[in-house]
Amino acid sequence: MTSDGVPPILELRGFRYTYLEGTPRAVEAVRDVSFRINPGERVGIVGPTQSGKSTVVDAFAHLLRVKPGQVFYEGHDVAAPGYDRQALRRRVGIVFQRPESQIIEDVVGADVAFGPTAAGLSAAETRERVEESLNTLGLPYPEYRLRYVHALSGGQRRRVAIAGVLAMHTPVLVLDEPMAGLDPRGRRELLELLMRLQKDRDLTLIVCSASLTDASLLCERFVVLDRGSVVADGPAREVLREPDRLAKLDITLPEPVIAARELRKAFPDFPTELLTEEELEAELVARLGAS
Amino acid sequence: MLELQRNVIFGQYIDAGSFVHRVDARIKIVATVVFIVASFLIDSFLGFAVVLPLLILIQVVSKISLGYVLRGSRFFLAFLIFILAFQVLFYPGDVPESGYLWRWGFLSVSNEGLYTAGILGLRVIFLYYVTTMLMLATSLVDLTNGLEQIFGPLQRLRVPVNELVLVFVIAIKFVPIFIEEVERLARAQTARGVPFDEGGPITRARRIGRLLVPIFISGFARADTLTTAMNTRSYRGGRGRTKLRWMKAGVADWAVLALITAWMVAAWLV
Repeated sequence: MTSDGVPPILELRGFRYTYLEGTPRAVEAVRDVSFRINPGERVGIVGPTQSGKSTVVDAFAHLLRVKPGQVFYEGHDVAAPGYDRQALRRRVGIVFQRPESQIIEDVVGADVAFGPTAAGLSAAETRERVEESLNTLGLPYPEYRLRYVHALSGGQRRRVAIAGVLAMHTPVLVLDEPMAGLDPRGRRELLELLMRLQKDRDLTLIVCSASLTDASLLCERFVVLDRGSVVADGPAREVLREPDRLAKLDITLPEPVIAARELRKAFPDFPTELLTEEELEAELVARLGAS
Repeated sequence: MLELQRNVIFGQYIDAGSFVHRVDARIKIVATVVFIVASFLIDSFLGFAVVLPLLILIQVVSKISLGYVLRGSRFFLAFLIFILAFQVLFYPGDVPESGYLWRWGFLSVSNEGLYTAGILGLRVIFLYYVTTMLMLATSLVDLTNGLEQIFGPLQRLRVPVNELVLVFVIAIKFVPIFIEEVERLARAQTARGVPFDEGGPITRARRIGRLLVPIFISGFARADTLTTAMNTRSYRGGRGRTKLRWMKAGVADWAVLALITAWMVAAWLV
């Protein structure tokens, strides 16, 4: 429970997962991960490859053989017998690393409509949501709704995948490596879109990435994973206060943090919890002005 | 959850480092051929009973868990039972009146039908087991080298041995990759509301049909990438290619082949 009595929207309690458990090819992906995510939070799950990020993401929507007592949605155990998994998947929307894999229909409009239709929405309502989602993602509805998904570019396909999830109006939006393979403009656009959506819809936003830079632009809190365990969890600035520990992991640190670490050679007490270049600049100007 | 990787082990390699793994790949391939020939020659339950201890011996020595092999054969065995049921019900051979246990129109269950289906079943299981074991206990590199050397002499007759072996090995190597891919796709689609983990067998099968188009697309993309990779690394078949490690069959390897051949002849003759 949080202080005001609202249960966390998602919670992992001692979550562990081994792929192909009980076979000679068993791989322990996650060992003992616990954290809570409150409604409306923007959380970055950061870690190098093989750290267990994607496994954690799959667990949120009960896409793995999750054991009881480890994964909770709004306080309910998702692995409890009789738990409505379909309903859970209508609340936790996931945009996977490779967007192609989650596109079901061949035509853009039909694919975005898939979720709302499966959820039992009326044709009129579905149409409205498809139009809204495609327009939001900068794929104008009249122009794109009849295009073939496989004829689109990689960036456009990712947008279709996101539109398909947005059309579900899920309270939780999980993005696995959303920035991978996008050019700088595509990144900027996606970033602005996600920030806007999060505010407008009061989303709980979870971003998985191997790059703290990507996560720091979107998230107020970081959960850092390494080899299947949580190594840091807290407000973004707090986590950045220990950059040496983060630097040992194979993750990309934000530029201002990298610069700040270098500057520590001149100013040993130089702060590293800097999220933007402006903050770095202000700090530097203050120091140089003083000395 | 669609858990294919657990239930289909075809084409996988488990590096258990046992004696079975270390036996020269060529010997293992020839031994497998001996097994295959034997499986067609043996036609009595007694014959297969003689074979069984050898298979148990191989299983134990290989250090690969039996439970893993059995679980990994679930789909195969289910399919086999399905086929054999038809074999029994539609048995076409001559059956004396006393041989029928049950009859309804053109469907029947007879002693003769059961016997033939039983032998056929054992034959297929035997074949499946030895080929699966060959792949579980032989790395693809060894398998490729072994096949290339066995069929090497055919190259004089202008048979493109290296290319054929390569195609064969790539085909096998792609099976587990495809299985993984299907699982990944199924997970992503489940997240969007396609319930792969619910409904009867027919509904489930129909949902798997949805995966076909994306699987083909990713398959072609993979093949394309592989071709490019091979071209950039100047692959040009086996011509003029030398090997760092030459295979050498020792006394133990030959002894294994001799033992297997003798055992199979015995099983055939009993």
